[in-house]
Amino acid sequence: MIEAAQLRKEYHMGDSVVHALAGVDLRIQPGEFVSITGASGSGKSTLMHILGCLDRPTSGIVRVAGETVSALNDKQLARIRNQHIGFVFQTFNLINRTTAFDNVLVPLVYTRRAFAKKAARDALERVGLGKRSKHRPSEMSGGECQRVAIARAIVNKPRLILADEPTGNLDTRTGEQIMQIFHELHADGITILVVTHEMDVAVQAQRMIHMKDGNIVEDTAVDDHRREQILTQAHDVHTRAFRQKAAAKAILPAAARVPEVGGWPTSFGGGGGDDRGHDAERESSSPPGPKDLGYPAEVDPVRE
Amino acid sequence: MFHLQILLMAFRGLKQNLVRSLLATLGVIIGVGAVVSAVSILEGAQRNILDRFESLGADQVLIFNGSDRKSHRQVQTSSLLPKDSDLIAEENKDIIVAAAPQYSGAGQVKFYEKNAFATILGATESYAPMYQYKVAQGRFLTREDVRGNAMVAVLGYKVANEIFGALPSVGKTVKINGKSFILIGVMEEKGAYGFIELDSQVIIPLSTAMGRMFGQRYLNMLVVQCTSAARVPACIERVKKTLRASHQISAGDDDDFIVFTQDQFKQQLGQVALIFGVVLYSIAGISIIVGAIGIMNIMLVSVTERTREIGVRIAVGARRFDILKQFLAEASIISMFGGALGIVFGWAISNLLSELTQVLETYTPPIIIALALLMAIMVGIVSGIYPAIRASRLDPVQALRYE
Repeated sequence: MIEAAQLRKEYHMGDSVVHALAGVDLRIQPGEFVSITGASGSGKSTLMHILGCLDRPTSGIVRVAGETVSALNDKQLARIRNQHIGFVFQTFNLINRTTAFDNVLVPLVYTRRAFAKKAARDALERVGLGKRSKHRPSEMSGGECQRVAIARAIVNKPRLILADEPTGNLDTRTGEQIMQIFHELHADGITILVVTHEMDVAVQAQRMIHMKDGNIVEDTAVDDHRREQILTQAHDVHTRAFRQKAAAKAILPAAARVPEVGGWPTSFGGGGGDDRGHDAERESSSPPGPKDLGYPAEVDPVRE
Repeated sequence: MFHLQILLMAFRGLKQNLVRSLLATLGVIIGVGAVVSAVSILEGAQRNILDRFESLGADQVLIFNGSDRKSHRQVQTSSLLPKDSDLIAEENKDIIVAAAPQYSGAGQVKFYEKNAFATILGATESYAPMYQYKVAQGRFLTREDVRGNAMVAVLGYKVANEIFGALPSVGKTVKINGKSFILIGVMEEKGAYGFIELDSQVIIPLSTAMGRMFGQRYLNMLVVQCTSAARVPACIERVKKTLRASHQISAGDDDDFIVFTQDQFKQQLGQVALIFGVVLYSIAGISIIVGAIGIMNIMLVSVTERTREIGVRIAVGARRFDILKQFLAEASIISMFGGALGIVFGWAISNLLSELTQVLETYTPPIIIALALLMAIMVGIVSGIYPAIRASRLDPVQALRYE
């Protein structure tokens, strides 16, 4: 899905040169769920922008979705962003003056696809906001806004989602709900790359990349054992709370699952998301590939 | 080029800041309104004046007192005598049909308690035929009236109406500037001749006017009717020759009279219109520029304000050209909307002016509506292009971080 070789990015600040990326090599397979961590200035955002075709490397080769994007022009990059990549930002970046529905519609404006409205409706249904489509961002909670942003990211059915601190502006509980959606998207086979500095978010990925001074200094696969290890090392209260939760969940069975009815599943478990008694689907270490989703059986995806 | 989605987006963008958008529109409304009203006033005035000159007749030559050349020698300011008229007609029968000498002054016409102010025109029997000016009741002046200094008068349509209304007037005696005149006729309604309102005149024999009425030696004006418009230049030469001889002007000295034709009036009018045009169009042009700057200003603010939005749009796949189009569309909507309202506004203003002043006639040529719309679109594009380019060149990474 992603291939980067000897990726360098330099910024000129007056006379000095800042090496935001100092020769990064990276391969991400289709269907992977990868987290990138690192301190401010470690180059994680720069890497994400370059992988997301928003920025160009000073040197090096980038291949995204089978295309060598470092060789493409602006117009071709725009097409790749539009068709293959979905962005999710820390601050949601919704257009405040329009409704949730119109926000989700924005990528489709540039796709000029037929049935755009249906696609936008489906995407909103999918993040559980089918009933809130006429609301403006100012009328919604942070979690709802981020779900609208995710709906916008997936409306063109991209193969790659790039999330830059997606839970950074949300409380823990809402952040978990958002991560849950990512897990579900991942289960659908979408490659997910999350940039974060929250350890409990990072460990939910299958693979953790840690960056420092423009280099990848750690790149490890995360299994349950490793996850436990990392969480044990973590000391902050926030992370401990998560660990307890994760432990509690581990004993719950993967209940309330119904088979997927083809295409997009329609929901992530209903309106506000606060009635989800058991987040049993949270299986962050599960292998990529189609997976059942816990959406309520009464929602008929064909009808809408 | 602009598909519906982008236009809709542009509309929403404008609606969001309705007051600001309307203020930007106001600039265009005033600018386009100024242009439309300037054109209407100028066009109306020109048409009005041209119409008046058309009434002069292309085959007529007008002769006035005075000199149109800069001369070192003193030239007598008044020179045209009644006999000059006879001489011109007599000596140039082959080329000149008639000559109509005129003297006019202001006067008051009184019939018992009714009275009216009018132009008292001293004329000869050749006056009415020259203008195809017909008598509605009674008769016009005759050669005998003129020769005999008769105390007779012919009323213009308006004067007759004012004093007598529907009552018969021919044969009645009226007082003109205190002197008694017998009314011999009433003229038909005729309107304007050049700048003279024929219907407000009272016509009396030239000899009476110059003698008993005003006590003058010299004519105001002498109108010469040539056999055809084509022969006007030849006609002028002959008139000059006759007059120079009559006035005993030696070779090399300047004329002591001025000859005018319809063509010359038109040329002079053209120059006056040009000056007025330059002034009016400059004002209109400046308002358009101010309007354009207003739009540009608003658009620049809008681009800065929506930096993040632009970043998002680029991130989700907008091409730079799409961003450019969106902002250009916004500027164009402002300017086209403003242009349309401006046309209505300008048209209303010019009509109001003509209504209020009663003398200013305005005319809004249909073509100007198309031109004004075109101009509005141009304003939109010109003022929108720079902000739009700025928006489209934003670095998405920077734009997404913009606070």
